[in-house]
Amino acid sequence: MVTEYETFLRDLDMVLSGKESVLTLRDLTPGRYKYRGINVKAIVSKPPRPGEPLLWLRSVVGCKDPDPCSVRILEELPETLEGRPYSDYFSALDRAQG
Amino acid sequence: MDNKDFRSFLAAIDASGDLVQIDDEVDWDQELSGIGRLSCEKDGPAFLFNNVRDYAPEWRVATNPIATWRRLAVALNLSADIPLRELYQVYAEREKVMIPPKVVSDGPCKEVKITGGDVNLFDLPVPMVHEGDGGRYLGTWDLVVSKDSDSDWVNWGMYRFMIHNEHILTGYPRPTSHLGKMLLDGYVPKNRPMPIAIVIGADLPSHIAAAATFRITGNEAELAGGLGGRPIDLIKCETSDLLVPASAEIVVEAEVYPDRIAQEGPYGEYPGYRSGEMGNSLCARVTAITHRRDPILTLDTTGFKDSSATTTSISGAIAIKRRLEKHGVPVVDVYIPPESGVHLAVVSVKRGGSEIAQKVVEILTARRALLSKIIIVDEDVDVFNMSAVIHAFATKCHPDRGTHIHRYEGRANALTPAYSLDERVSHSGATVAFDSTWPPDWPRETTPIRATLDSMYSPEIQKLVTERYKLLGL
Repeated sequence: MVTEYETFLRDLDMVLSGKESVLTLRDLTPGRYKYRGINVKAIVSKPPRPGEPLLWLRSVVGCKDPDPCSVRILEELPETLEGRPYSDYFSALDRAQG
Repeated sequence: MDNKDFRSFLAAIDASGDLVQIDDEVDWDQELSGIGRLSCEKDGPAFLFNNVRDYAPEWRVATNPIATWRRLAVALNLSADIPLRELYQVYAEREKVMIPPKVVSDGPCKEVKITGGDVNLFDLPVPMVHEGDGGRYLGTWDLVVSKDSDSDWVNWGMYRFMIHNEHILTGYPRPTSHLGKMLLDGYVPKNRPMPIAIVIGADLPSHIAAAATFRITGNEAELAGGLGGRPIDLIKCETSDLLVPASAEIVVEAEVYPDRIAQEGPYGEYPGYRSGEMGNSLCARVTAITHRRDPILTLDTTGFKDSSATTTSISGAIAIKRRLEKHGVPVVDVYIPPESGVHLAVVSVKRGGSEIAQKVVEILTARRALLSKIIIVDEDVDVFNMSAVIHAFATKCHPDRGTHIHRYEGRANALTPAYSLDERVSHSGATVAFDSTWPPDWPRETTPIRATLDSMYSPEIQKLVTERYKLLGL
């Protein structure tokens, strides 16, 4: 059971609307699988909701928001996203959201 | 000692006093790389970690193989104490001699083979290099092999690759890199996956050749042979026809998707910053991993004064000198200080002035513009002596007419921290040449004279002073 993730965002406020978002989460569970990535459809809450895994938000330069959120995973998505090499990853996340 | 593989190089830097081995358990999650990072910043030794948390003892990690000129010299089978100017000269001479590789049928990198569903990147002790990176970076001190889809051109480059999950990697060879060009021009239009091989812990000349500034369609395996003075043994991959150095510690075979991506970065890069260039990368599926028994994973704790700084400093400076000579610039010497994160070049010329400065900046930004600053000095300034260079720049560069700014679109370095996020995404930028030479039309009789021993004293006095210093043991 994963209890802590992090994600990287171009616009930190985008995920805090209470709507579904497509995100890449990095598993922060200690051990050799730490930082494993999964693509998910999820709802992010701030402040964190009890019982949900913690989620730390980081900017595109890796700057960490000091106040954590929580994340409710609705669906795990394919491990890769549709997109031409070097195309914008954040746009690919938006497209996956539909 | 002949550095025929990575282990013999480690033995050589151990003998020269440039390697520290750590047997205590060290965490792959930032601790190990933090030790390597500090060593880069202090011009310290390379490290070999023999006990990595969460991993069996047969797995070891070596950091920053050639982050100092001493270790780069040893990698080229030279004395660690060779003067820098001489090291540049040796490199430039060897670079002219191409030695073709030999294809062999067996080699150390095939001692253990893992294919198909057994592939698991988390079985490798891949470090988390910096706090806040997008993930764990397998490719830092590597050599990535790729082949053009329509010709025999094979490229070796040093590119970063990050673990996404057990069998997916993402990477950032720039789109303007040779690998990026092969992918975008050849494979993507045909919607074909591009085979690659990420080679870790090969002989040092092979990695130096991969990191080198080298001509497009050039054969880095031949360059590696020339740099090391011996042919490189190559062996075929398990899941593609690519050839890799047979002595490598680890080979990760993969296919780059022509139509899929995943998160890559951000990553603390060679300029010494994490610049937020994430979001424009490539994605690959791992098809096989082969490795030596008791393998050593190599790591460049990327950032200020890392291992790529020395390699690109030397090969980049020599490439710049050749390009300027080709365009008729009266160049004498070129130096790229490793401290500049490959953003600054110092160019000395026989005859300077505005026209030459403008020409230099235009030539050096014509295709890829990785440098953002060029200091041009007269030939009596030793480019390897940064005190002399700073003196010339501070005193001889006119704040107005000595500054030549050249702007460009689409080919700027996305890793340049000075650029705004928009500029980094659109590859828009500029390079400035600081003309620190005397204007050629200034008459000799009124041109200022430098107040240094070699300029403001007679040859007789210089000789006397030098002899006195010798007598004093100074």
